[in-house]
Amino acid sequence: MKNKIGVYVCMCGSNISDYVDVEKVKAEAEKIDGVHVVKTTMFACAGSTQQEIEDDIKEQKLDAIVVASCSPKLHLDTFRNVAQRAGLNKYNYVQVNIREQGSWAHSDNPPLATEKAINLVKGGIERVKHSKELTPIKIPSVNAVAVVGAGISGMRAALELAEVGTTVHLIEREYFVGGRTSQWNVLFTTNETGQEVITRLYHQINSHPKITLYTGTEIIGKKGSVGEFNLTLKIKPRYIKPDCKLDKEKFEKAIEACPVEVDDDFNFNITKRKAIYKNYDSEFPEIPAIDHEACNKCGECVKICDDIDLNQEPQETNITVGAIQLSTGFNPYEPAKGEFGYGEIDNVITLQQFKRLIELNGGKLKYKNKEIKNIAYIYCVGSRQIDGPNKYCSRYCCTSAIHTSILVKEKYPEINNFHFNRGIRTYGKQEKLYHEASEAGDIFLQSFEEAPPQVEKSGNETIVKINDILTEKEELEVSADLVVLVTGMVPREYTGIVNILKVPIGRDKFFNEIHPKLRPVETVIDGVLISGACQAPLNITESVKSALAAASKVSTLVSSGEIELEPTMAIVHNDRCTWCDKCTEACPYDAISKIKYENKEVAEVSKSLCKGCGMCLPVCPENAIDLIGYTDIEMESMIEALIH
Amino acid sequence: MAKINPDFAKEIFKYGNGDFHACYNCGNCTAVCSLTDEHNSFPRKMVRASVLGLDEKITSSLDPWLCYYCGDCATTCPREANPGELMMSLRRWLTAKYDWTGLSGLLQKSLLFSLFAFIITAIGVIYYSAFQNFNVEIIMHHGHLFEMLSIASVFSFILLPNLFRMWYFVILKPGIKVKFMTYIKEFQELLIHMFTQKRTLGCDDNQLRWFMHLILVFGYLALLFTTVVLDWFGTENLFIILLGYIESVVIFVITFIFVASRIQKNKEVNKFSQPSDWFFVIWLFLLGLTAFIVRIFIDLDLIESNLWMYLFHLIVLVQWALIIVPFGKWTHFLYRSFAMYFAKIKQVV
Repeated sequence: MKNKIGVYVCMCGSNISDYVDVEKVKAEAEKIDGVHVVKTTMFACAGSTQQEIEDDIKEQKLDAIVVASCSPKLHLDTFRNVAQRAGLNKYNYVQVNIREQGSWAHSDNPPLATEKAINLVKGGIERVKHSKELTPIKIPSVNAVAVVGAGISGMRAALELAEVGTTVHLIEREYFVGGRTSQWNVLFTTNETGQEVITRLYHQINSHPKITLYTGTEIIGKKGSVGEFNLTLKIKPRYIKPDCKLDKEKFEKAIEACPVEVDDDFNFNITKRKAIYKNYDSEFPEIPAIDHEACNKCGECVKICDDIDLNQEPQETNITVGAIQLSTGFNPYEPAKGEFGYGEIDNVITLQQFKRLIELNGGKLKYKNKEIKNIAYIYCVGSRQIDGPNKYCSRYCCTSAIHTSILVKEKYPEINNFHFNRGIRTYGKQEKLYHEASEAGDIFLQSFEEAPPQVEKSGNETIVKINDILTEKEELEVSADLVVLVTGMVPREYTGIVNILKVPIGRDKFFNEIHPKLRPVETVIDGVLISGACQAPLNITESVKSALAAASKVSTLVSSGEIELEPTMAIVHNDRCTWCDKCTEACPYDAISKIKYENKEVAEVSKSLCKGCGMCLPVCPENAIDLIGYTDIEMESMIEALIH
Repeated sequence: MAKINPDFAKEIFKYGNGDFHACYNCGNCTAVCSLTDEHNSFPRKMVRASVLGLDEKITSSLDPWLCYYCGDCATTCPREANPGELMMSLRRWLTAKYDWTGLSGLLQKSLLFSLFAFIITAIGVIYYSAFQNFNVEIIMHHGHLFEMLSIASVFSFILLPNLFRMWYFVILKPGIKVKFMTYIKEFQELLIHMFTQKRTLGCDDNQLRWFMHLILVFGYLALLFTTVVLDWFGTENLFIILLGYIESVVIFVITFIFVASRIQKNKEVNKFSQPSDWFFVIWLFLLGLTAFIVRIFIDLDLIESNLWMYLFHLIVLVQWALIIVPFGKWTHFLYRSFAMYFAKIKQVV
């Protein structure tokens, strides 16, 4: 019990004192046992007042302080630091909010505002009486990180982390690296190809001693927490001997011989590929892979190429890391059947398919053997939905569609591009592309959300109609040889990783950060960071920026070897605990586990996993759990003081 | 339902500077234009119609004629899409569209064809003079007759039918029902605009331009009257002689200034010149200058021994009367004033 408590009642200029009689609050506080000094002050947060409080603590040997002022969101740390500077434990400080909860809320009734302020201060004093000296928890950390997803964000982050000396495990679910970036040919604003960029990164990664690359690999298990995660990885068989000499000719023949054909998802299913495959010639790793889901193990390829081994089994391996950076990327939105004729009218494709089509197409631009002259791009498909779940703008699609249309026109000058948009958002430097496209003669037509363009089949023609708001809503039509749906981004279908790591998912189904502005790459799970398009629709530049931000955050977390955590957390009173398991169900962070204690089973809270949310407290039938910093006695005595 | 025709833009490009594709529909041009009003909101509408290739919309529209090209839209356009120059191109295109012979389009689109036409007419005149054994009296007499004949025939066979076509495109075809009395009542509108060009004054900075243009129009019409009706080259009347001198000086001085500003490109309106613009101002300049010199030669009794001077004037005159007046830029004199007349009628209806 603290019995030399200092209480400071702030006027906040006149914000508080206009409605709350601070002298009366002071008088009431002085009557309470254990209160040693009470002062009113014009601005408690002013430098001179902070100094005065500091001096009081030192000279009068105060053992706890209460400041009655504004919300703790504003100044909790300010006064905790005052306490610390004066040699008092910072957890022996309680802030009482008599401004937002007092004077501002009850400006219509000053006497009652004063009464409420008095009660709040009494409660604060009672709570601080039972406060304990606490020290932040320090846990050791492994200077290693798992970067999940070897797309452009993951690759770039891996390199950055490896450069500062962190051991990097780069984990890719597919057999090849590069993710979405490798599927795009020429990229906007730099005009390099995605494959060139990926190749460059791959060579750097491959030669870096600090980076281990796992392809065809997924995380299937996790133990531990920030500082020391133990991850179980499952590596799919590639069915190629690891020590194989890369005999290109043999592999080409093997691919030719493979009788299995499946939709080629690298080309967004506009082409077929074999079960043994490489998506493109310069793809990495250089060795082809056999799709174990598609392969029927007929053995045709083995006859040609003895480097193939169809008897390989999936492998499991364990790694230990201090943090996990997720760069799992996005999927293009898949339009519903019939959405702008998709899946029903044969010349309606998505932008992603179109981009692959252009790259694969030599000579004249043809789709399904029909030469293309007029291309209609329909924007915002799967984004900015009014009724659907995807309310967001996918950010990259306007620019990507316009950039693609420029490339098409460069390659095939006779083409006409028609952009059916809902307002062009080629923000920033990308605006130049919009200008370029319009100068090249591309035609932009615009409609509102509630009256989208219509795609109809009329005889042999595909007609796109719009009530163009730029032409007095006149009904205009184009006979399109190809309709390109400019589809936005949706999150990947996560297989397990969300459940394994408990990554928070936002309403838009992308991974959720703690605070979009102040903590944009951290999640509420300590040690799990997010970057790139798994978090929100981002273009490549933005993805890499967020990847580097997350990498620097990872680095500050794991590189010092030690992580400091808030001491606010649940503790179990072993004598009372009967292990009924109710708390483990309530815990959203999997922080509670079963241990043996003096011949019985009790619950134990992991220091690094517990967030101090308090969910386990009310469910415990034995009242065996306390929350440090918010112990039962602190809360009960505070409530007691408030209601009497 | 209108079908978009991107090829139309390519056609318009043949009639002038074509940056209008850069337009992103902000509407600044219409906002800054001091001539636009709620009934005629240009130039944005015309820019849009051109981008989309809605040629029927343009054919039936009077907007291009209602613009007097102050250039404010071009200087304020954030995309440098140059709406003012598009309006100019559309006027050229409409001139070709109204012309039933199709020659106007050919002459405007093909510099080669224009040069060919100019050379052929020149050769014709020289051939004819040789045929007349370079007899001054006969040639000058026939020259005078030609003036009268060409005015009558060009007007009845080319200009009148073309005006009729203009009326068909803007009033009849779009189905605008106009009472006959309205045409009579609003006829003054035509005369006012034909002889004052007062709409130009609506442009923000055009007082001087309007004044010079006005003087030029009057100088031109007066010289036409003086040579054709008062037979300037044949008269002994001192007053008429002096009158002709003044008129011809007005013409070549003002056109000289116009040519100079087109070379200097000192204003938006002068920045882009098509061959048809050059032909128009240069030939008008030559017309005034050669007429002036011819009369001096007559007064100094030099014309007998210097027939070449008259022939030069005659060549310019024939080219003017047979190429520029019926098919070239001269027609804007009629189309602009008729456009104001039809616009008023449409507004009344």
